Amino acid sequence: MAKYVCSVCGYVYDEAKGIPEAGIAPGTKWEELPEDWACPLCGAAKSDFSKSGEVSSERKPAPVINESADIKEMSPLEVSALCTNLARGCEKQYKPYEAARFIELAEYFKSASAPAVKPDVGELASLIEKDIEEGFPSANAAASEANDRGALRALAWSEKVTRIQKSLLTRRQKEGDAMFNNTGVYVCTICGFIYIGDAPPKTCPVCKVPDWKFDKIEGRD
Amino acid sequence: MAGKYAVRNIRLCTKDCLCLYVCPTGATDTENSIIDVAKCTGCGDCADACPSGAISMVPKEYPKQQSKTQTVKNTLNALVKSKSKQENIAAGLNGKLYRAIEKSNRIMTEDIIREAGYMLPQSENAKDFLQSLIDKNQPEGFPKAAAEELLKTFNNSEENNVMSENKTLKNLMAAFTGEAEANRKYTAYAKKAEQEGKTNAAKLFRAAADAETLHALKHFEVAGKIGSTADNLKDGVAGETYEYKEMYPDFVEEAKTTGNKAALMTFTFAMKAEEVHAGLYQDALDNIDKTEEVFYYLCPVCGNIEKFRPEKCSICGVSGEKFIKY
Repeated sequence: MAKYVCSVCGYVYDEAKGIPEAGIAPGTKWEELPEDWACPLCGAAKSDFSKSGEVSSERKPAPVINESADIKEMSPLEVSALCTNLARGCEKQYKPYEAARFIELAEYFKSASAPAVKPDVGELASLIEKDIEEGFPSANAAASEANDRGALRALAWSEKVTRIQKSLLTRRQKEGDAMFNNTGVYVCTICGFIYIGDAPPKTCPVCKVPDWKFDKIEGRD
Repeated sequence: MAGKYAVRNIRLCTKDCLCLYVCPTGATDTENSIIDVAKCTGCGDCADACPSGAISMVPKEYPKQQSKTQTVKNTLNALVKSKSKQENIAAGLNGKLYRAIEKSNRIMTEDIIREAGYMLPQSENAKDFLQSLIDKNQPEGFPKAAAEELLKTFNNSEENNVMSENKTLKNLMAAFTGEAEANRKYTAYAKKAEQEGKTNAAKLFRAAADAETLHALKHFEVAGKIGSTADNLKDGVAGETYEYKEMYPDFVEEAKTTGNKAALMTFTFAMKAEEVHAGLYQDALDNIDKTEEVFYYLCPVCGNIEKFRPEKCSICGVSGEKFIKY
């Protein structure tokens, strides 16, 4: 009997135990679970699971990334995100007036940002893949090296969120728009985790905040 | 708890209102639930008393930004660039999933950029960032005023403003007390000079006493201590009540113990007169909207005030003829 671990939220499926409350009897083999079975905690696809003990063995050395951190070279959208981050910082310090000034700057830079030329799902998917393959491993290596616990925390959350994005894009490719029929799309406002369901999870499977921290994405699909 | 002040999270506030009962300065009694920073002394009693944990004590000065290594900054920045690009692509695609991905990427970017050295809006990094926005040749429509205002705010930290504001207020009230005291002192000296026939010195003392009155009144006004007449009458009731109920009884006892009969008499007269004054202020407050003219008669010996000319003063016994009409 083997165990399988969710790469997004860390949920463990134990073949020996099954999930009796969901009608999966103890002893149900991984292969016997239906293909559209999803992680009961975060909704990640079956393919996002890996067999327990098999993950760490094939770790590649982290590629070296040398991206400049000069603020003068930031794109308008990056400047906008820096401003919304600083606005959040002001809110936490109970400075609503200063937060509003940062939001004003953020909105200006968002509108000044040129729209993507021929936006393409394939390009989105490949950037996500690149983050998982290169971006996160090298940032994690740098943060571990520097013993930077704060950075490691942010990376742990973002990497999980990136994996759920990948999982959802894959699912959409297979199922099309039907996957959103009669169901809601929710985003955790703290870590960015995305959940498809009738209601947001009681606690965020990535950052553990309560459900009221989730925003529902409105509009038609 | 020096260097902190109380803030209320309105979302958590369950209106048990314990903060109203424990605040020593009335900083929490605002209708809009924002605790009055100017009145908050930072004692923390409200935060301790609040049953719903809605009040936090926040520092006036924030610590420095934690330092980040260049490699950590560079690798995090690479992710910031990638996530921003993804936000941009998602923004151009139709459908709820892409709205969610757009938002999700923004949240990740914020979180990563914060860990790349932009935690605190008042940090040197954040100020350099604002300065770079101002220095850069920005297209029209750039809200330069917002960036400049933020930079200015974070350059003169809030504590300095609040501190110097409080210090000036204290100075104004100290100057008010000093000038008021000088006025009374010079008036006493002028009387003495008149008795001695030193009329020139007496005139100077009178003029100087009036000058100190001008100063005192201005300081008091600038300190913002003059309210509506109804408020001022209330303040009059409170001040006189304190004097006759708490201050003078102690002084009278002390004068009795030490056998200082002159002090005992002046304190006793004043104590009784202040009680009358408190009553008159309350009466005036109750009838503030009445237009019928009222006259007041002042006893020139003990300071008693009556609303009708008495046969003799009920406090010191001086003849009613001596009373001064107002």
